[in-house]
Amino acid sequence: MVDLGVATVTLEMVAESQMGLKAIGAALAVGLTGIGAGLAEMSIGSAAVGATAENKDIFGMALLLTVIPETIVIFGLVVSLLILF
Amino acid sequence: MLQPKTMTRLLIVGSKEQMPSAVTELYRHHVFHITDYTDQGKEGYEGFRIGQPMEGATELSTDLIKIRSIESIFGLSPDDYLGTKKRSSRSIKEIIERELPAIEQEVSNLTAQRSVAEARIKVNEQRIAELTPFSGIPLELGLYRGYETVSVIAGKAPREIEIPVPHEKFIASDKGNDTIVLFFKKEDRAAVEHALAEAQFQPIPIPEEEGSVRKAIDAYESEISQLTATIADIDEKIADIKEKHGDFLAACDEVLSAEVEQAEAPLRFATTELIFIADGWVPVSEVENLKSGLAQATGDKILVMDVGETGGHDDDHENQPPVEFDNPDFAKPMQAIVDIYSRPRYDELDPTLIVAIVFPLFFGIILGDIGYGAVLLVLALGLQRVLKGETVQQLLKVLRNASISAIIFGVFYAEIFGAHPGALDIELWHPLISRHLLIGSHAYHQGDIAVLLVFAVWLGIIQMTLGRIMGVYNHARHRNMLHVMGQLSWIAFMWGALLLIWSIAAIPLMPDLTMLPPIVMGLNIAGIIGVVLILAGAIGIGIESPLELIELPSVISHSLSYTRLAAVGLSSVAIAMVVNFIAIEMLIQPQLTQLTAAGILLIIVGIFVLLIGHLLNTALGLLGGGLQSLRLQYVEFFTKFYKGGGEKYNPFGKKRNLTED
Repeated sequence: MVDLGVATVTLEMVAESQMGLKAIGAALAVGLTGIGAGLAEMSIGSAAVGATAENKDIFGMALLLTVIPETIVIFGLVVSLLILF
Repeated sequence: MLQPKTMTRLLIVGSKEQMPSAVTELYRHHVFHITDYTDQGKEGYEGFRIGQPMEGATELSTDLIKIRSIESIFGLSPDDYLGTKKRSSRSIKEIIERELPAIEQEVSNLTAQRSVAEARIKVNEQRIAELTPFSGIPLELGLYRGYETVSVIAGKAPREIEIPVPHEKFIASDKGNDTIVLFFKKEDRAAVEHALAEAQFQPIPIPEEEGSVRKAIDAYESEISQLTATIADIDEKIADIKEKHGDFLAACDEVLSAEVEQAEAPLRFATTELIFIADGWVPVSEVENLKSGLAQATGDKILVMDVGETGGHDDDHENQPPVEFDNPDFAKPMQAIVDIYSRPRYDELDPTLIVAIVFPLFFGIILGDIGYGAVLLVLALGLQRVLKGETVQQLLKVLRNASISAIIFGVFYAEIFGAHPGALDIELWHPLISRHLLIGSHAYHQGDIAVLLVFAVWLGIIQMTLGRIMGVYNHARHRNMLHVMGQLSWIAFMWGALLLIWSIAAIPLMPDLTMLPPIVMGLNIAGIIGVVLILAGAIGIGIESPLELIELPSVISHSLSYTRLAAVGLSSVAIAMVVNFIAIEMLIQPQLTQLTAAGILLIIVGIFVLLIGHLLNTALGLLGGGLQSLRLQYVEFFTKFYKGGGEKYNPFGKKRNLTED
């Protein structure tokens, strides 16, 4: 029987698990901000499409308003890059 | 450059006799942007009315409508005939009178025949639908009626029905939707109907025909196929006519559109019993040309008054001159992109030139790959030959420039379809800045992520400062000193924040001011200047509008927003490298050492993954690179100085493509 209470941890294992946690952190940064940006763009986007259907001239303004929350996910991407490298 | 074309306002006054020749001349020059006269009792315009269309306008419109309707039957657009030999408009007019009625007659005959045939097909299909349920019942159609004491009911029911009176029943089963025909005595009708109603019975009409059901259906079907052949025949004839007369119709459309527009031009003029006044704008460079043209056409019997540039006031929309871009040739395609946002106003700077330089640059920084750039370049050049239409062509030129820039940055980054070609042990060359990621066993360089991010922020700082400076210029032109100060305060705030950051932390690619000796509160001289600039900036912004103080953090968020140039690019590199890794290193390469049947299958899968992956990544790169760099222009750059909303310069007249005088 192996005594589970005294499993040894080598230095490599610590380093590896640190890498793993970093990867999880980076994934959370991108994933959660992606959800946030998606939620924000969802309602803006549908309103913008409706407005553009009424009046094509405001397409530029509609696109602008739609992509404003995109910055959130870009920040997430940058943060995850900074975590990983 | 950076300014729309300078416009002059012209008032053209003449007697009504001169109007037709003046209108023709204006149309020919194609430079006069008419300001529509509205009958609102404007000062100085008492007694003027909106003009009446010239003689013959109604007939011309009728002819034009005829031609347009034929064109829509043919599915023909005048643009399809661009580049064909030009016809003389005089000869066209003769042909219109001679041939148009005949063509119209022929086409309307054919379409009438076609719609008759189509209606006939509909009827037959209806009959077949009615007959089909009876095809499973072994009775001739004549046997369903003509009895004195017997009634017949036919219908659909989901299951077998028990009838409590004497009857004869025929069933054609069809999976829970059986057709049932009942023969029973007339006096039992009430009992039968009651039993049927209980059983969800749905009556269907009995066809009024003779003979066998199958034969009747066959007859209708053969008629339908005949009719279909007739329709195909008619379509072919119509196509023949389109082939024969298409270019003539397109030319007619052009000639008649021109004439109708001219005949209806007086609707936009102010007129009295005797004279007319046309009000409008002309680019300064064209004024002399137009004046002499008008003088010649009317024998000097017309007055052209040069009212000069009266526009320029902020709120005076009515007198704003129309806006025509004035850019060097290489920047022209970008006008379409600026127009998507909004046409610049006459009294503000036109950012097209700057966007024309910055957009491809940003696109290149994001995509930065020789392979993808080349694919997009080929795509743009190919589509330029296929697709027609001015805007599309301009947008394709934008794509062409952008993909050339992507190829150039691909050389800097040393990337072809990802940073290294998967399993193949090839190092292209040493990248100037590396975006290579350590994916796969042959990765050569670690990415310079921090450098890339800071480089992107630098571009943002420069572009936003430029935007603010352009804002200063726009406001200064209107002597709007409060807003000038506001814009300067924003610049001071941003650079103050930068100085403060530099004095506290050392950042790659940015000046390192942490070495300077501290003076007060741990801040060195640069830090103190930074704090002073920040405070001065914030005060200035607050004076311009206290509400804008809420926007102060946007300095940080907008600068960081430019990091997308590096981040989006890196994610596309990552996708490309993963595709290479999966396809080549995991699927293809292990099989090459020892070929087996399953191995060949895996190699094919690998090639498939490689193609699909890179195809997808090309599309993502186009979308990401295009939209992200466009957004940086629209959101981060334009909001600093650009209002837009100018009226498009839309000169009276049209470029003749298919006809000439």
